[in-house]
Amino acid sequence: MTIMKLLILMHVIGTVLGVGAATFAEIFYTRFNSDNIITDDERKTLSVTYTVMRTGLFLLVISGFGFLLYFRLTEHVGIFSSPSFWAKMTVVAVLVGNALLLQARIIPFLIGTAISLTSWYAALTLGVLGKISMSYFEILTYYAIAVVFVALALRWIRARLHGPAQAKI
Amino acid sequence: MTTALAALLITHVIAGIIAIGIHNVVLMHLLKKTPNYVFISRIAWSAVALLLLSWATSAYYYVTYYGTAVKPRILAGDMPFAHAFFMETKEHIFLLLPFVALSIALCASYLRAHPEDDGLRKSAALLTLVALLIGVATAISGMLVSGSI
Repeated sequence: MTIMKLLILMHVIGTVLGVGAATFAEIFYTRFNSDNIITDDERKTLSVTYTVMRTGLFLLVISGFGFLLYFRLTEHVGIFSSPSFWAKMTVVAVLVGNALLLQARIIPFLIGTAISLTSWYAALTLGVLGKISMSYFEILTYYAIAVVFVALALRWIRARLHGPAQAKI
Repeated sequence: MTTALAALLITHVIAGIIAIGIHNVVLMHLLKKTPNYVFISRIAWSAVALLLLSWATSAYYYVTYYGTAVKPRILAGDMPFAHAFFMETKEHIFLLLPFVALSIALCASYLRAHPEDDGLRKSAALLTLVALLIGVATAISGMLVSGSI
């Protein structure tokens, strides 16, 4: 197996773990919190899901820098001027910053989870699409709009599961 | 570039990135209500070791190869500011990072023995945030420099 294939494999596994864990973290949290009580078992399940998500992020970042090193050493540096590359780097930075803000309880949970879920899918989409004919700011504008839509969708889903009288988001 | 220099560059980048990741984990744990200081101090010392490794490998690469083979190409290319601003800033700010990491590790070791010191926990968290921001800025500068060849 060549280094490039190994890096691609690592990158795909990281993305799969991250996107999958982010999706299930949201599903589990919404289901578990429908009675406004998170039991110890439910907390443990969420904790395992977040660990898988962090493992995915670690693999994604390490393999991502592996790609950059590979391109630097082989002098294929065109990727460094690609807007989608910088947009993806920004999205990953937002993911890390958002996790810190959530941990410090500085950001509302609904906004934090919407940013996390959207960022993982945005990283996946940008990775799959590769070169796209949009500027860096256009990509980030679409990303910001997606965050708002996801936040509204999550708010609606949680309100429905709780029932209007006891919705606590 | 020789294989040895390529290995040094790879070690510099990977060790640096893992150290930045470790500082992120340290910060996440320091923000908890009851941090596990045994774990925090262990990984904080690992970050010190990795940053020193990243520092040493980059120093050798910079002195023996970058200055003569890479820098002139960047200065003659489309983005001379990549060296003139980003590399010049990176190489000076990066000097601080192992010492900031050392301070974090010492704080973590002290907190291991004195977990009740909440003021130090908050100060150590702030210092770790500073280290994280310096690390991220350094990594972005490195990417810009690599992309400007």
